[in-house]
Amino acid sequence: MAAPSVLLRRRRTAEPGRGRPAPAGAGRRRPSRSEQLTGWGFVTPGVAIILLFGAVPIVWSAVMSFQRNNLLTGNTPFVGLRNYRLMLHDPVVAQAVEHTFVYTALFVPGTMIVGLFLAVAMNRKIRFISVYRTAAYATMAISTISEAIVFIWLFDPSYGVINYFLSLLGIPQQQFLNDPSQALYVIVAMTIWGWTGFSVVIYLAALQGVPQMLVDAAAVDGASKWTTFRRVTLPLLSPASLFLAVWLTINALQLFDEVYLSTQGGPLNATTVLVYYLYDQAFQNFNFGYASAIAYFLFLIILVVTAIQFRVGRRFTHYRS
Amino acid sequence: MRTHWLSLAAASCVVALGLAACGSDASNGGSGGGTSISIWEGWTGAEAKTFAHLVSVYQKQNPGTTISSLFVNNDNTLQKVLTAVRGGSPPDIAYLYGSWAPNVAQIPQVVNLTKVVQRPGVNWNDFWVGERDVATVNGRVIGIPALVDNLAVVYNKTLFAQAHLPVPTASWTWQQFVSDAAKLTNPAKKQFGTAYVTPGSEDTVWHWEVLLWEAGGQILKPGNKQAAFDSPAGLMALNTIRQMAVADHSMYLDPTDSAYANLFNSGKLGMLVTGPWDLSGFPNVQYGVQIMPSFPGTTGGHQTISGPDNWVIFNNGAAHTAAAEKFLLWLTAPAQVKYWSLHTGDLPTRHSVTTQGFLSAMNKALPGVDTFVTNLGNVHQARPQTATYPKVSQILGTMIVSVLLGKSQPQAALTSAAQQVNQALASSNG
Amino acid sequence: MAASAPAIPRRRFRLPFSPWHLVLVPATLALIFPFVWLVVTSVETPAEALHFPPVLIPRELHLENYPNALAAAPFGRFFLNSAVVAVTTVLCNLVFCSLAGYAFARLRFLGRGLLFAVIMTTLMVPFQVTMIPQFIITKWLGVHVLAQVGINHLGALILPNAATAFGIFFLRQFFKTLPVEYEESARVDGASRLKVLWRIVLPLSAPALATLAALTFLDSWNNFLWPLIAVTSTNQMTLPLGLATFQGGHQTEWTLLMAGNVMSLAPMLLIFFVAQRYFVRSIAATGLAGT
Repeated sequence: MAAPSVLLRRRRTAEPGRGRPAPAGAGRRRPSRSEQLTGWGFVTPGVAIILLFGAVPIVWSAVMSFQRNNLLTGNTPFVGLRNYRLMLHDPVVAQAVEHTFVYTALFVPGTMIVGLFLAVAMNRKIRFISVYRTAAYATMAISTISEAIVFIWLFDPSYGVINYFLSLLGIPQQQFLNDPSQALYVIVAMTIWGWTGFSVVIYLAALQGVPQMLVDAAAVDGASKWTTFRRVTLPLLSPASLFLAVWLTINALQLFDEVYLSTQGGPLNATTVLVYYLYDQAFQNFNFGYASAIAYFLFLIILVVTAIQFRVGRRFTHYRS
Repeated sequence: MRTHWLSLAAASCVVALGLAACGSDASNGGSGGGTSISIWEGWTGAEAKTFAHLVSVYQKQNPGTTISSLFVNNDNTLQKVLTAVRGGSPPDIAYLYGSWAPNVAQIPQVVNLTKVVQRPGVNWNDFWVGERDVATVNGRVIGIPALVDNLAVVYNKTLFAQAHLPVPTASWTWQQFVSDAAKLTNPAKKQFGTAYVTPGSEDTVWHWEVLLWEAGGQILKPGNKQAAFDSPAGLMALNTIRQMAVADHSMYLDPTDSAYANLFNSGKLGMLVTGPWDLSGFPNVQYGVQIMPSFPGTTGGHQTISGPDNWVIFNNGAAHTAAAEKFLLWLTAPAQVKYWSLHTGDLPTRHSVTTQGFLSAMNKALPGVDTFVTNLGNVHQARPQTATYPKVSQILGTMIVSVLLGKSQPQAALTSAAQQVNQALASSNG
Repeated sequence: MAASAPAIPRRRFRLPFSPWHLVLVPATLALIFPFVWLVVTSVETPAEALHFPPVLIPRELHLENYPNALAAAPFGRFFLNSAVVAVTTVLCNLVFCSLAGYAFARLRFLGRGLLFAVIMTTLMVPFQVTMIPQFIITKWLGVHVLAQVGINHLGALILPNAATAFGIFFLRQFFKTLPVEYEESARVDGASRLKVLWRIVLPLSAPALATLAALTFLDSWNNFLWPLIAVTSTNQMTLPLGLATFQGGHQTEWTLLMAGNVMSLAPMLLIFFVAQRYFVRSIAATGLAGT
């Protein structure tokens, strides 16, 4: 690929009558007609696909949440807000909400921190670096069932390796997946492992946008490595951090696969999260209308949380423009 | 250089889409003039090979019919079928778990087979009573039995010998089971007397329901509107497993339903209450099979529970339905049932197949399976055929797990579960 | 202590290799540990695979599991299907998400904010609920628009994922981090927006594009639930559906399944191994060295 540097000559715009170009999105000038058309033209193909296969089903599902629907017959009478009212009185929904939030609060920061640490470690040219990076990616590639089997074994109360190591430290045998108060944390560990690769990959890409020039300048100014990291690198990584926080949260609030393949919501609903519960309602209890209502409730939660993240993120993210 | 990259990308896009286009021939269309029926089944390994063989034999004998089978893992079939039904394209035949039958029966496209199974030569009563009960919902036959099994006790002969215990006999009791389990437990060797699966799903529940029946109890009262398990029989059943899990610590609790079979195969479990499907998973141990123990002084005897599954036909027009019926009746005829069982180790779905020669042939291929076959005679009833059974099952599952984890006392758990079941049954439309 | 030049730190001892290896090696071991199990199971006998705790050192290598797995079902076909779907999905995503991501990042047009929010909301409803409407829509398209994107065609596996909110969101975030001066000066020079995107922004975005390509490929390659619903004949099955044929309701053929998993992982790891070189650009390419 030809080096783009030829096109990157920075030009001082000193022509009379033209001030410094305003940063994009500042809204200080009205977008021209051509900009509007170009904008719409650019987004149309992608947005059309997403709206057709994403938005239409969502609206459809909203309609289903106001019906009593067992998926078996075509008879789906409207029942108004009945499903939503049932949800408010369902103790399992309350438990599922709590578990979903606890899980998300642990999983998202955990994955981001581990991923950031490893990405920084892997952002250098030392021998075998390709192997290390590929290993991180590989955790995303492994099938969930293989991941589940290994973690179930690692955390087995009687035969697992974790309890073996704990016994070496004098800690008594933990029940892990058999203990309602510990099972969710095992799932947290399992999924942090599974998503680390993703976090590493995102942060690695973002670290490329941190100009070595700035890092060197800080070092010359006498800043320690940690201070440089905290005051130069981290802020420049903030768009990636926001992206990761939003994306990981959206996924964490919709946790399903690992629960389905290991504890199936147990023991005693300790790992029942919202999506697992709605799957259970839809395909084991044939209450599809109710499941759609739960999905909508979850949708609202995710919407609010994401909006808050964007709002808060706007204050802390620095886009270079 | 960059332009090169672009054209390469565009070219590969075109090629890929082209491949996608030509690659997708609708293989559902049979050769002109014949009918093609689609079957969704979940056979793997030996079962898959045997099924493919039978299908090809049938196609040779019936040149006008093509059978295209699609593998769908049995756990996923319901989702796929329901989506297809709602989308207007159900398969012709699907393999569906018996536990889904009361709900599947409500699908309008499901073909009513009541008259079909009464045709001469079909011999509907040759199928085991447990199967017929599960294939029939409110008097309508909605499926033809595809598979049958039951629960019995598989035990490790070596561990019994090491513990100087006599192996279980056909007249054994639950007291002996419990005491054997305690004697077979060896914490130093990380060895347990037995195991129980505790995800709280139906697998948890049916392992307990069999004890309930043996204790003379019932799950629901006739009419399926009220709980009946909150009884002395229920208490006896619950106390038995509680004894092992909480008091004796002789019971390994498997919360993920995945480790217990391999544990047995690794010689870490003395006894296991399980079905014939697990036998092929025990190549590394000397095992024996014995029928379930009983509770002396009750009416339950040594009865067991079975979990049959059904072939269900969906209405895609008269021609397809007729072809599907013809194929299924052939597939489930005694000759094919016998062939199937001998080649896969699955229990025969028909009574008439179980001759002595058959039993010894089965046992040669898969030791111990003959006990499971004769145990089919101990199946006297089926679980309640009601659409709300899944809800009942979840309540029972939570009850059992909370007792096994020591989180609640049996009587209190039974009472609370019965209340919840009554509420659930009352608020449903049956 | 003798004085030394202040800028050169004095080291007590020197490791023959970078100290980061001491961090990366244990981290990598922790990350690949499940793969050890996966690979070991794929070369065991079925009887060895039926142990708990799992056997980590097989008695001998049974490499015949690999050809046996391939022979058990038409895996060549499944592999080809998965490849066609994944490659096409990646290419479509790169094109559509670059265009849309750039528009959301740099262009201003009426309804931009709302449209972006609506797109993000499509990520917020679980598939278990949207799969039935998606099935019906796909079926309708196959009947009324183009047969190749209908049920039981590879197009049905490609089209719903040809552009994803993830891709648009990701590229939007990345494009916003690029210094806008380069694009503005090109605009001043009279370049059209498309040219700016193509000749300036995309080359600068190689790490992000490579990342998106790798992640989209992975997602498409491993996608199970939608193909499960949308495919109704064996010759349209993708690799995950093919691997599922080793998992029965009661029994699973673990050795064949894991051999299949290893073979399915290999292309993904290979692609990543190649792509990750683009994840890290040399600083010289940014042109920031000279101003």
